[in-house]
Order: sequence, then structure tokens, then C-alpha cells
Amino acid sequence: MAHLGTPAVVMDNGTGYTKLGFAGNDAPSFVFPTVIATAKGSSGGNISRKGTEDLDFYIGDEALAAANGPAYSVNYPIRHGQIENWDHMERFWENSIFKYLRCEPEDHHFLLTEPPLNPPENRENTAEIMFESFNCAGLYIAVQAVLALAASWTSNKVTDRSLTGTVIDSGDGVTHVIPVAEGYVIGSAIKSIPIAGRDITYFIQNMLRDRNEPDTSLKTAEQIKENYCYVCPDIVKEFNRFDNDPDRFQKYMADQGLHRRATVDVGYERFLAPEIFFNPEIASSDFLTPLSEVVDTVVQSSPIDVRRGLYKNIVLSGGSTMFKDFGRRLQRDIRTLADDRLAANQRATGVKSSGVDVKVISHSKQRNAVWYGGSLLSSTPEFKNYCYTKQDYDEMGPGIVRNFSLFSMV
Amino acid sequence: MSQSLRPYLLAVRTSLTAALCLEDFGSQVAERHNVPEVESGKSAEALLNPMTIARNENEMVLIEPSINSVRVSIRIKQADEIERILVHQFTRFLTGRAESFYILRRKPVPGYSISFLITNFHTETMLKHKLVDFIIEFMEVVDKEISEMKLVLNARARFIAESYLVAFD
Amino acid sequence: MLMLQYQNLLLQSVLSERLDPETPPLGIDQVVSDFDNVTFHISNPDPKDKTVIMVSMYIKCFQDLVKCGAKKILEREYGPYLTEPEPGYDVSLLLNLTDGSIPSDPEQRDELVNKIALLKRNTFAAPFEKAFDKFDQLAEEAAAEGKDLYAPQKSDNEVMAIHYRDEESIYVRPSYDRVTVIFSTIFKDETDRIFGKVFLQEFVDARRRAIQNAPQVLYTQKEPPLEIRDVVKPSSNADNMGYVTFVLFPRHLVASRRENCISHIQIFRDYFHYHIKCSKAYMHSRMRFRVSEFLKVLNRAKQENVVKEKKTASGRTFKHPN
Repeated sequence: MAHLGTPAVVMDNGTGYTKLGFAGNDAPSFVFPTVIATAKGSSGGNISRKGTEDLDFYIGDEALAAANGPAYSVNYPIRHGQIENWDHMERFWENSIFKYLRCEPEDHHFLLTEPPLNPPENRENTAEIMFESFNCAGLYIAVQAVLALAASWTSNKVTDRSLTGTVIDSGDGVTHVIPVAEGYVIGSAIKSIPIAGRDITYFIQNMLRDRNEPDTSLKTAEQIKENYCYVCPDIVKEFNRFDNDPDRFQKYMADQGLHRRATVDVGYERFLAPEIFFNPEIASSDFLTPLSEVVDTVVQSSPIDVRRGLYKNIVLSGGSTMFKDFGRRLQRDIRTLADDRLAANQRATGVKSSGVDVKVISHSKQRNAVWYGGSLLSSTPEFKNYCYTKQDYDEMGPGIVRNFSLFSMV
Repeated sequence: MSQSLRPYLLAVRTSLTAALCLEDFGSQVAERHNVPEVESGKSAEALLNPMTIARNENEMVLIEPSINSVRVSIRIKQADEIERILVHQFTRFLTGRAESFYILRRKPVPGYSISFLITNFHTETMLKHKLVDFIIEFMEVVDKEISEMKLVLNARARFIAESYLVAFD
Repeated sequence: MLMLQYQNLLLQSVLSERLDPETPPLGIDQVVSDFDNVTFHISNPDPKDKTVIMVSMYIKCFQDLVKCGAKKILEREYGPYLTEPEPGYDVSLLLNLTDGSIPSDPEQRDELVNKIALLKRNTFAAPFEKAFDKFDQLAEEAAAEGKDLYAPQKSDNEVMAIHYRDEESIYVRPSYDRVTVIFSTIFKDETDRIFGKVFLQEFVDARRRAIQNAPQVLYTQKEPPLEIRDVVKPSSNADNMGYVTFVLFPRHLVASRRENCISHIQIFRDYFHYHIKCSKAYMHSRMRFRVSEFLKVLNRAKQENVVKEKKTASGRTFKHPN
């Protein structure tokens, strides 16, 4: 297998985390924060005589560590999914490729990801860097939502491998609901929700504080979120169940460093925290629309001929969709909304509908779904034919990356 | 500023200011079209005499005036292979961003490194003397930038080579 | 980052985590690449048994390395862990977490992990080790014969050629007073070629100018240096080919420096290309800065509030349709 040539490199640079790895693997080789720590005083005009200050920087976890010292300052090159600082991003890639992935970009094809509605200029800038600075052998830029759809093919619930569906992408900062038809994002219907992983963590932290737990650090809250939280079908019943069955209350041992440990009780937040997706009013006062309603609106504002496909294939992606039974609950809520609408319609017109099939797909690769989808695509033998090569770029210029042909994969 | 640069830039400034006397002028060839005459070149009577201002054989400016547009082309000094590639990279980088430069032509006139096309629509929305300022500033800075880049590249190469070799010791 | 690391970071981090008895065994199946057309594969040979980890390596030029005694080095470094190579790969190491072959002492374990992370480096060390040994032997002979150091060298010393990339090779040639290492280089891109030339010129000059004790570096284009003229295969691209010669003198080959010297010379091509790319990235950031400066100047030319209130003769105002 190795003799088919060098594996393609898959890089998914998100606002919060960057995932790096090679095509064909089922998990990224490196996951670290999209952060760069540059030496203080070198940023800005960076016009200097010696000309090597730009090599003095760190990325990822090392950057966060370096920023604790006085000599470095932290920068986030990506904001809201889009690259804001190209100087930093170029150096971020430089280090990603040569230090972490250890590959000669001239020998590898690259698959990069971009958020939906990324301006074409950003693509051109990306291509300029990848081809001119790194001479990479080939480049393909894919939309994150489309890759998340492709990743869902690992689920055995998916029978036809179509690129039509609604992607719910919930990371740390923001949650997007993105409808995709035949591999193309329906830009006008995208909606985002200001509730995501970080809000859940804060919610748990607040609950811990209210109870005067011995440890209310953000880290503890995060651990509780990742290890104890789940989605329940009905809050009232769940409260009762907790009261009748004391086993449901659990304890978490928080390691505070220096061998000090504190025991934290974990109670109702186990099901209340993820509930803020479905009942935002328990955590926020300015955003009140439940996730299921947002999804329903998104599908309803898409072209009528794809709505059925969008309901049938609702795909989850990102760390904040990993709660147990998240998919089941969402499916039930959306189905209720859809059925109610159909029933109302039937009463008004008297025409009987054949019903709408609502399906939410959870799968094991959900956490790094975008990266995994990229890995799947780029490990297919056709992948290289869909890339633009350095020769193409030299001949046509950066504008070439404005269009990538869609993959029609098996 | 070196001895010969000042008169060179002054000559460019004066000629350019004179050339930037533009008015709206509909095409005489195609009805209801309004094209930069210097680009279409279809009506000889709308074109004026082009002029070349040269500092030496490697650095010159070509100004091609017409009734509603002026094309300014600059040949940037390229003394050796390194400067040639740096100029090439730089001009390509700029033309790739021509959209935000309004007056930048995406392709230079043959024989020149970079071209600008100023039409009457530009002079209507922008201040003429500031446009001239921009061209002059551009010419000044580009030369400086190219030689600085070359210096930095050399310094950098030296540092890299020495750091590598010193590790053997 | 100025220097590239010699070890593979991913192998190091994955293994130090997996070999730690405190972490629960997890399944793993990853393909990882390294410089110079090297591919690693970390996997569990039996997917059900997660306590056995196999690390395999594929090297494009493995046959060349075997000719220089790579097997002997692998045996020396990884003896107990070597196993039948996985199909499609050239070297495989088997790590069994349960049979006690992994040291329990954390320090020794780290040492093992680091050693495995250096798998590529150690395999590529073969031609260099062989050449250095040969140099010792020749130097001794020469000393015994009381040979005139300025006499012309014998030319029967074998040149070892490692064709590590499609069009690029490393040649190593020992002699009684030096070891010559020659990299053939080719640039696919015009900018790289010119930047490369600037860099190589500095490599050549460095010894004269600053670091007297460094290896001598020579750079020739098109024509291969005399030492390897017989071994270089004619190629269609001969005109674009460049040859970088490193002359390692006895002071670089003393036992205490030998290991470092081998690691360092191996990484030359990657280091060189890495820095060409960094320089281009740096040029980009300068150009971005210039573009924004130019735009500032140009935008000064824009007239502010272009749309002024217009009045008709009778004093009434009218709005522009836009």
C-alpha cells in the first residue's frame, strides 16, 4: 500500500483545534489548538535586517506553554473559521508540515478544509501559500460540511452514499446547521447558533459554583462534561429518576496538582447541561430557539426538491455532538415538528401526505468527522485526479482554485 | 536618494501629471461602449504620443496617454538572477491582488515589469495628484524593497549555512 | 524552529504513551510518513490483541542501504524487537507490552522509545558508518605505510550510492584522509533554484569566512564531481542537476562526534529545502506588508464624500437614484 506513493496529507484547521494526519488513517495523528506563539516585537511590520526572527515561534500546545513565559505572545490565526492572519497561518503550516508531519510537501498531495461561505480570495491565498511557498505536489480544498457528510458513510445506518444532507457541526465556539445538496452548500439557508461546547462547560461550572463544590475550575467542568453528561428524553422524568435512584449521582475526583485531590459531586448537570441545546432558556436569555427548531427552519428554507433528502440525512459532527443519545433526542424532536406541520397541512387542505422520513445519524467518527471525511476522500485512488497540481497552478495562476470538481465517490 | 533618481522621478511626475488630463469619451467604433482608448487602440485620433522616460537601460517608464485613459508601465531594475526572481514574485503577488488596487493592470505591457491603467473614471473618483503620488511612491519603494529583500535573503542564507555547519564542530 | 529534529515526533509521542503501563491498551492503526520517502505503519498485528504493537518502515532506497550494511545496524540497535517484515514494508519491530521485553524503568523505556523514533535515522546511518569504518582502516594503513599525505589518492575506493529520491542521490566515498559525501540536488521550481543557489553559495563560503573547522563544502552544477563521475547514472535532467559535496575531515570523524555527524549530514537536504521554503514564506509576509502599505497610499487618493448634495436651480434638492 505504501508503494502507491506517499500518503496524502489531510489538514483541518478549525477555529479552536487543528487536526493533522495522513490519508487512510482513521484518526488524525495530531490534534492541537490552532495557536501560534511569536516572539514579542517581531510581529507587525517585521522588517528587520537579520531576517530570521520569523523562525522563532511555536504552534499548538507548545505555543500555549511558551506563552506562559515573557518572551512570546499568543496569536489565533483563525477566527470564526476563516483565516485572518496569513503571515501567522503560513508559519503555522510551515511548522505543521516540517515538524509534526515531517513530510516534504513536494512529494505529497494536500487536502485542506474551509468553512462554508469562505470567500474565493481566501482560497486563492491558501493556494498561493501551498504552491508558492511549499511547492506542494497537489492541492484539494474541501468544504468542511461536505466532508462531515462523507464521514457519516461509516455508519451502518447510511445505505446510499449521497452528498445530500444537513450537517450539524458543533465545536467549541459555535454551532452551525448547514444544508448540503449534491455536495454543494446551500449558502442562503445556513444558520448558526451561539451555543456550543464552551457554553456547556460554563453552565456546568456555574452549577458547581452554586453548590459550593470544592473544585470549580474550568478543567473540572470540562472533564465532567466529557465523561458524565448525556441527553435525556424528558427532564421532569429524569429529575424524578434521580431522586428515586441515588446511584445516579456520581462523584468526580478532581486532580488539583501537587497531589491534592478534591471530590466533586456530579448531579443534575449530567443531563441538564446538554439540555441547553434543546431548551436554551435554561442557560441563556438572548437566544431561545431550540436546536431542533433551527434545523427544521433550515430545511424549510432550502429548495423544496431537496427537503426530503435533508430530513433523511441529518449528520452530526464535532465534539459537542458526542453526548449519549444526542442524536436520538434530536431525531425525535425534529420528527415531532415535521409531523405536526404535516398534520396541520392535512387538516387545512385535506390532502394526505405520505409522511416525511427524519433520520439523525450518529457514528463513531463524529468527533473528528471533518478530518475523517477528508481522510476517506483523499485515500481513494481518484483523489489525485481531482487535485490541482503545481503545474496547473503555474500555468493558470491562483484563480484556478476557485473551482474544485466534486468527488463522485463510490 | 541617489543623484540620478531625483530627476528621473521628477520627470515621471511631471509627465504623468500632464498626461492625466482625461475626459469621458465614448467609443467611436462600437455604439454605447466606453472603453479605455489606449487599450482598444481602435481610434488613432484618440491616442496621444507615448513617451519613455529612462534612467538607464534597465529602469524606465513608459507613459501611453489617450483621451480617456493613461497606461503607465514600469520596468523595475533587475541586476541579476536573484533580483529578477524577486521582481517576478513581487509583481505577481501584486497583480494577484489587482482587485483592491483599482488602477493596477493584471498583465504588464510586454517588456515591462508592471503596468497601471488609469481611466477617466479613476480620476473622477480619486484625486489626481494623489494618484501621481502613489505611482512615484511605488517606484521609490519597489526598488528599495527589492534590494532589501535581496540583502535579507543573503543574510538569511548565511545564517542558515553557518548554523548548519557549526553543528559539525 | 531552526533545526529539524532527527527523530520522528509522532512515533515518539505515540509509543511513549502506549508503552506506559499506566495507559490502557488501545487499538492503533496509523500510517505516518517521514522525509526522504519513508513511510511508517504503527498497528496491532492482531486487531484483537492490543498489547502487541508493530512498527514497520518502508524506505524507497532500502536495497541500497542493505548493500551498505543496514541489516547489521538494525540488528545491533533493535535486535530483540526485530521481526519478519510486514508485507509491503522493509523493517518491522514487534513490541509486546506483556511479555516483559519492554523495560519497566521509565528512563530505560524512554530510551527505547527514542531509539525507535530514530529508526529512520539509524537505517540511513548504514552507508555513513561503513564509510567511517573504512576511513579508520585506510587511515591506519596510510599511517603504517608512512604515506605522503599529499600523494594522489588511490582511486579504487568504492563509492556508495543511495538513491533516496526519484532524481536525487547521496554518494559516500571514504578515503584515508577524508570522507566525501555528495548530494545530488535538483529543483523543480525556478524560484527554488535561485534561492537554493544563494543558500549554497553561503554554505561554500561559510568555512572561509567564519567557521574554519566546518566540513568543506563545494557546489558544482551539471558536471558531477570527479569522485562520482563513474557512478552517476546519466539522466535526462542532467543540466539542472547540482552537486553539493561535503568533505568530512578526520576531526569530524572522531568517535565522540561520529553519531552527531551522521545524524546531521543525513538531514542536510531536508534542512536545506525547509529553509528555502521558510525564506519564501518570509518573502510572502514582507510582500503582504508592502501591499497593505501601498494600499494605504492609494486609498489616500480616494475622494471623501463624493456624493454631495445637489440642488436644482429652484433650490430643491434631488437624490441620486442610487
